[in-house]
Amino acid sequence: MNKLGLVFFPAFDWAITPTHPEREERLLYTRDQIVEEGLLDLPQIHEYKPQLATLRDLERVHIGVPNLRSHIKDAHFVSAGGAITAARAVKNGEVKRAFALVRPPGHHAMRMVHGTRGFCTVNIEAIMIAHMRKHFGIKKVAIVDTDVHHGDGTQDIFYHDPDTLFISFHQDGRTLYPGTGFTNELGGPKAFGTTLNLPLPPGTDDEGLHYMLDHFVLPILEDFQPDMIINSAGQDNHYSDPLANMAITAQGYARLADKLKADVAVLEGGYSIEAALPYVNVGIILAMAGLDYSQVIEPDILSKQGKSNLGYMEKLVQQQWTVWKNREQLAKEQIAKWGDYFVRQKNIYYDDSGIQEKQTEKVRLCPQCRGFMTIATQAETAYYDSQSAFAAIIEQDACPACRCAAKDAVSKEIKLGRYDHYFIQDKEQDTLETIK
Amino acid sequence: MWLGIDVGGTFTDAVLVEDGKVISQSKAPTTHDDLLIGILAAIDLAVPSGSPLVIERVALSTTVVTNAIIQGAISEVKIVLMPGPGLNTEGLFPVKPALVSGYIDHRGRVVKRPNEQEVLAQATLPGKIFAVAGKFAVRNPVNEQQVSEWLGKCKPRLVIAASKVSGSLNFIRRTNSAYYNAACYFVFEKFAQAMEEALAKRAITAPVHILKADGGTLPLALAKDYPIESFFTGPAASVLGVMALQPSMADTISLDIGGTTTDIALWRKGKPLFAERGATIAGYNTAVRAFRLHSVGIGGDSYVRRESDKIVVGPMRLGPAMAVGGKEPTLSDAMIARGDRVFGNKEAAIAAMASLALPGQSVQDVANQVIAEAAYIVRQAIEDTITEEIAQPVYTVNDMIHPDPFMPHELIGVGGAAAGFVPVIAKQLGVSYIVPPRAEIANAIGAAVARPTMSLTMRADTAEGFYSIPELLLKQPIHSPQFTLDDARKILADHLLERAREAGIRSTDLEEVYTEEFNMIRGFSTIGKMISCSLQIKPGVLMYFNEGQGGVRHE
Repeated sequence: MNKLGLVFFPAFDWAITPTHPEREERLLYTRDQIVEEGLLDLPQIHEYKPQLATLRDLERVHIGVPNLRSHIKDAHFVSAGGAITAARAVKNGEVKRAFALVRPPGHHAMRMVHGTRGFCTVNIEAIMIAHMRKHFGIKKVAIVDTDVHHGDGTQDIFYHDPDTLFISFHQDGRTLYPGTGFTNELGGPKAFGTTLNLPLPPGTDDEGLHYMLDHFVLPILEDFQPDMIINSAGQDNHYSDPLANMAITAQGYARLADKLKADVAVLEGGYSIEAALPYVNVGIILAMAGLDYSQVIEPDILSKQGKSNLGYMEKLVQQQWTVWKNREQLAKEQIAKWGDYFVRQKNIYYDDSGIQEKQTEKVRLCPQCRGFMTIATQAETAYYDSQSAFAAIIEQDACPACRCAAKDAVSKEIKLGRYDHYFIQDKEQDTLETIK
Repeated sequence: MWLGIDVGGTFTDAVLVEDGKVISQSKAPTTHDDLLIGILAAIDLAVPSGSPLVIERVALSTTVVTNAIIQGAISEVKIVLMPGPGLNTEGLFPVKPALVSGYIDHRGRVVKRPNEQEVLAQATLPGKIFAVAGKFAVRNPVNEQQVSEWLGKCKPRLVIAASKVSGSLNFIRRTNSAYYNAACYFVFEKFAQAMEEALAKRAITAPVHILKADGGTLPLALAKDYPIESFFTGPAASVLGVMALQPSMADTISLDIGGTTTDIALWRKGKPLFAERGATIAGYNTAVRAFRLHSVGIGGDSYVRRESDKIVVGPMRLGPAMAVGGKEPTLSDAMIARGDRVFGNKEAAIAAMASLALPGQSVQDVANQVIAEAAYIVRQAIEDTITEEIAQPVYTVNDMIHPDPFMPHELIGVGGAAAGFVPVIAKQLGVSYIVPPRAEIANAIGAAVARPTMSLTMRADTAEGFYSIPELLLKQPIHSPQFTLDDARKILADHLLERAREAGIRSTDLEEVYTEEFNMIRGFSTIGKMISCSLQIKPGVLMYFNEGQGGVRHE
């Protein structure tokens, strides 16, 4: 069986704003191409209606300030649910792979949610993974983020999780939103080396992309042996994308899908809605369904101009490969360096609402268990009062001492009264508690 | 007075109806080698020669096209295809197409024009039949039109452009529709001619309509151009029959229980559901609009036997019921033995059941078991169709958040074997049921009273500045940047009404099949609208039947 499950949800009645790139029209031409090609009739492809994700599914990952419901729209329950439907179809053995061709996207959404950033409010891949871990006993997951923008939200959520390998290649953060995704972002001390970034120079074409894939991504996946491979399948590396500067073709994307053999691909960005998306999506669908994609070629392919700096790629691969090879040793050094707690400060900008968030993340490096973390967050806008919150996140296998310490940390902050809102997200109990 | 004829697998039924009443009905064996013999026999029985009855309309549901396809008695057709880049189409068409250049993109822009030499190389001999299809030709028919013209210069027997046959997206389905339409063209033409002559001999001069798979009729003259539309119309006739005999505004399931199969149709708020993309013909996907029907291999003639002590019913048919001289027990024998149906020799039916009885088991008990077993299979199929309906994808947030769930609470049964069987199925499903009077001739009634229909599709791209109506091979400029969905509707309605008038369809009752309107934004400003619209002459029935009080609902 080589059957592809396709969850197609173009959200034809949803837009961030009427003229925003993330608008009703975005998947219109993709729909036309898919329908005209007759793809939904092929016996190798089965179309699924998305299920609705629940608030519980969303809050298994996110903590919204003051609450998640106030930030999300109905559409988010559908796209997150679409990703879940795709993963369930694969793990139930109904299909070999699945593609959640859904919107709105999610890979810029971090754990704490004060608003929408990079067109994303909730992280649909992370929600899907949490759902699958909860309901299907999945443990090791690899996420390959092939969007042109760094998947900073996904990286944030899984930064301290050694069971989630996050590999992102993207246009260099010095030249593109969100300005992160450098080679020194490698994961927290106990998950060191399971976050791997490959910033690529603008203009990188199919040759460069496939060099990274063949020489880095595929060997590492082979090495990591995940239970599930997820592709955050952004399509804005395309040569015609208006918001980025890369030079990948539909063939480049289709061959990537063919080689990666992701269990689940989830659409992320991609805003060349006429010149790229119809062809890239048809290419990905055919490749994932094991069908001939060699004739999927953009009508304006001759306008493509790209060049890959293979010398740079080679060095990049070498550097990151060394990290991967030595990650256990490097993790030990990191733990020794940090001691009981790992602490980092983050400045997070929400471009859609102009919010500036300051975050202090403190992770307990417990020798007995995955520990817990606390996040102190303060978000400011030019127009509204600041929203601050303090949250403790108790990991799945937290030892009694860590459980206690996490709750104590919140109690102590409540007494001090420095924040507007307090939360305990308990992964063991599968709850998010809002403490008044 | 209207005459309705349904050519079934075993019998050809004819009914004469007026003012919601059946004036006469008749039945003759279907003559598969020459359908016309059976049709005329049924007509002669229903309308005896010299009868003073005045026939104002004849409507026919025929298997002529279905038979021709199943028997392979269709013309050889060459598909001339402009696939452009994309899917590898190998194996998706009944014959290997000749691939030629020419490509239209999703906006209807010509990316590549066809090449005359390439096309003419496909037309070296006169007298050939061609189906011409191009990807996205429904967005701009210019390439299909050009290729058809070039082929037309080479003395072909027939050239059919795919976008004329179907105006909807799905290039594979359109191509197959055009192929089968071309392949059945002459078979149907011959049949239609013979039919007209035979009716003329009987002094029936009323217009003749042909039933389509979507439950509408086409005047014979126009049906000749679209023979493929008459594929698989028996089930469509039965759906129309249900509508005429037992109109309902509720979510309903109707069953047509025939000799070998039971056809299941779903109804939402009184309207039968359509197959999402079109009918499948001989294993190939086409764009032929048809009701969404599920056929399950249980009917009156279903063969009943014991397999390792268990009663098994169908799906095969080995012959008629033992009550009418068959050799093996059937579902009908069980019904006759129980007294649900009265035909043939009841003693023979009882003997059939007795032959299946375990030691000490009564005939009544065996018959009950047979019917329950058959009902269980149909019930499962019904539940599967409901599950499938609920799983139909939707593409807007609103449809996800505010679903309109399909919740059928009643079963309407028609067809020869409905009585006695439908109640058992309904009981198993826990719903009420109705078997309306005349249920056994629902198909012929459906054909008699089906409304004529016709549809057209428009795509308007105000940024590119043109609209197209593919079924008319029409592409026209849009002059006003303020062109709206309402303008599109008006233009399309005018074309549709004009075309209907030409075809002799009097109805002016239009219905929207589909509309879609998107703002096109480029660089943060609106540059135009993308409008899709499909209209049809309203389908349905022209007459309702209320002899007695209609059907009795059984809870």
